[in-house]
Amino acid sequence: MPPTPATPAIEFRNVSYQVAETHVLRSLTLQVQPGETLALLGRSGSGKTTTLKLVNRLLSPTAGEVLVNGVPNLNADVTRLRRSIGYVIQEVGLFPHFTVARNIGLVPKIEGWPEPRVRARVEELLQMVGLAPELASRYPHQLSGGQRQRVGVARALAADPQILLMDEPFGALDPLTRDELQREFISLQKRLRKTVVFVTHDLREAMRLGSRIALMEAGKLVTILSPDEFLRSTDPWASAYVKAFGDRLESTTTEGKS
Amino acid sequence: MKAARQRPRGASVLLVSLISLFAFSCSHSRPDRIVIGSKNFTESLILGELIAQQIEAHTNLKVERRFYLAGTYICQQAVLAGRIDIYPEYTGTALTAILKDKPGSDNQAVHQQVKSEYERRFDLTLGPALGFNDTFAIEIRGEDARRLNLKTLSQAAAYAPQWRAGFGYEFLERPDGYQGLAATYALHFAEQPRVMDLGLLARALRDHQIDLAAGNATDGLIPALDLFVLDDDRHYFPPYEAVPVIREQTIREHPEIGSVLAELGNKISDQEMRRMNYAVDGQHRDVKDVVRDFLHQNKVVP
Amino acid sequence: MNVFRFILQNRSQVLELTGEHLWLVGLSTLFATLIGIPLGIVIAHWPRLNKPVLAGANIIQTVPSLALFGFLLPVPWLGDRADRLAILALTLYALLPIIRNTYTGIRGVDPAVMEAGRGMGLTESQLLLQVELPLAISVILSGVRTAIVISVGLATIAAAIGAGGLGEFIFRGLAMVDNRVILAGAVPAAMLALLADIGVGWLERRLQPR
Repeated sequence: MPPTPATPAIEFRNVSYQVAETHVLRSLTLQVQPGETLALLGRSGSGKTTTLKLVNRLLSPTAGEVLVNGVPNLNADVTRLRRSIGYVIQEVGLFPHFTVARNIGLVPKIEGWPEPRVRARVEELLQMVGLAPELASRYPHQLSGGQRQRVGVARALAADPQILLMDEPFGALDPLTRDELQREFISLQKRLRKTVVFVTHDLREAMRLGSRIALMEAGKLVTILSPDEFLRSTDPWASAYVKAFGDRLESTTTEGKS
Repeated sequence: MKAARQRPRGASVLLVSLISLFAFSCSHSRPDRIVIGSKNFTESLILGELIAQQIEAHTNLKVERRFYLAGTYICQQAVLAGRIDIYPEYTGTALTAILKDKPGSDNQAVHQQVKSEYERRFDLTLGPALGFNDTFAIEIRGEDARRLNLKTLSQAAAYAPQWRAGFGYEFLERPDGYQGLAATYALHFAEQPRVMDLGLLARALRDHQIDLAAGNATDGLIPALDLFVLDDDRHYFPPYEAVPVIREQTIREHPEIGSVLAELGNKISDQEMRRMNYAVDGQHRDVKDVVRDFLHQNKVVP
Repeated sequence: MNVFRFILQNRSQVLELTGEHLWLVGLSTLFATLIGIPLGIVIAHWPRLNKPVLAGANIIQTVPSLALFGFLLPVPWLGDRADRLAILALTLYALLPIIRNTYTGIRGVDPAVMEAGRGMGLTESQLLLQVELPLAISVILSGVRTAIVISVGLATIAAAIGAGGLGEFIFRGLAMVDNRVILAGAVPAAMLALLADIGVGWLERRLQPR
């Protein structure tokens, strides 16, 4: 579905971020439309993780504004903001002293959902991310890497946020599991239609999952293109990327994205 | 959360036993049990034992002994905290070391002052003075006393320039010790006084290593070594009468103690105390036996 | 075996002195925990305070206990009652292990867990109470265990200034030159320390996060 000329879900207006002498982000301007899956692609140090963290205010810009649903996120109450945005990181960060069920149900619970509703939601999510219901009473250390990240995604989706931020979510997994989770993500996203921004350094993943790819280098946005456009792009950085991945790229552009 | 449920059992048993031990130690009213303390030198042990046996003989109370406490401050803390009920103290020590008042010289006045201060400030009271004055004794050899016909310190001062003196460390340092004494009696020794261990002073005197020493008036060795105690005619030294220090709470709960201890009032003379000290220190007899004999002989039976 | 018979014969006094000992150790450990754990939490979150606070606690530890007792004797309200003084001194000595272990325990929480928690919208106090402290509790308890064992030993020295406790047996026994009396104090004190070590150690293992 083409993006409607409505309020962007996320917008960066001339955002800069500086730490001591280092300019991590320079004057970043970009918009993320509701329902789209934006891949932030770039090398280490390109500023992609910083960009992600500026959305849920884990970091604050040194210049410019970040708007979420049209509201500058510095104006919003940070707790409410973060609870309305799902956050998934590479290390997963499950609470080791909570069961899977308690991990997933944490945000609903602190949001005051009644116990039965929380339990129902946990069951629903476990099914959604493809985990057996028996796993609900297990502890994170008893799960495999793939299972843990599924729980991470379930946890992020628990309060049904509109926006999902993911920082190299499948980076720590073996290729088979990664492939499996990527496929499942695609079908999940088809169903849920969340606004997703995910960080990756892997062009294949960006092309497979993203509806658009934002290429970043040295804190600047180089170009922002659809996967097809990216493949054919003459921009030096983009083509460098395409070349680096060589013939490992397939045409993944039609795989179930609208 | 299975693990969480198993925790309470063991933990609560431990907690309950700890709390009950706390409670046990906090309640210092021990039914029918009296604790007598004493310091860690012979005379104090004898007095403590005396108080203990007196109470055992004439009341139904069970007596526990907590002797050999290492000093005045510790005994004071123990009686304040109720860990002991009674212990033998000296009026002069109570006055200067605990109340931190200036030393007086009249026995009665000092006794009264200490008693009223203790009752006012500490909820403690004093029993009667036991009869002797364990003050500092300035000693010379018996033969010198007889030869030079010396009875008082004022008389002896004339010979000071020819004599060597020996004192314990504490006596030299204390404000109510050597400094004041020398000033009061205008004592001028040829050399600086020698510092010696208290136990060696008497022998050093006998062996002519020194000619004058400061000991305790009730020291058992005084008669044994033929030493003479010079009279403090200018009343420089404050009185050190032995008195039982008693918790007011103890007297309230067991008023019979008051009358039982009153029987001991004035029963021990300086000589008698010396004799008992010598029996323990010199003849190595057991404190319990020495005290038992004393009580029998003096028929301290109401 | 002489010692155990002696302890049995004088059991009421042994119990009483043990109670006094527990009072000194219990109260001081409680105070040290009430002060030390919050302090440890503060320096774990504001690392700039870390050096001065830990250095301060460290300095206290290096002062020989008997010297500290002696130092505090002339202080007006404290010096009047030896047990007050002892409890203050014991509290001071228990601070370092507790503060340090709280700091280490909290810093030891996986940063990924903290980042995920923060990103999810947990408030700082929710993070502290539901994530950091439960995950750090085992290490914190280890610090409390060390503090208790140290206190049981130091409390025996407190008897030297008249605070009571099992140390009094030891000092009296020394003056009487009677081994049974010395041991009547030393043995129960050692057993107290051992019991505390085992008991709290068991609790630590129970509460260890997987």
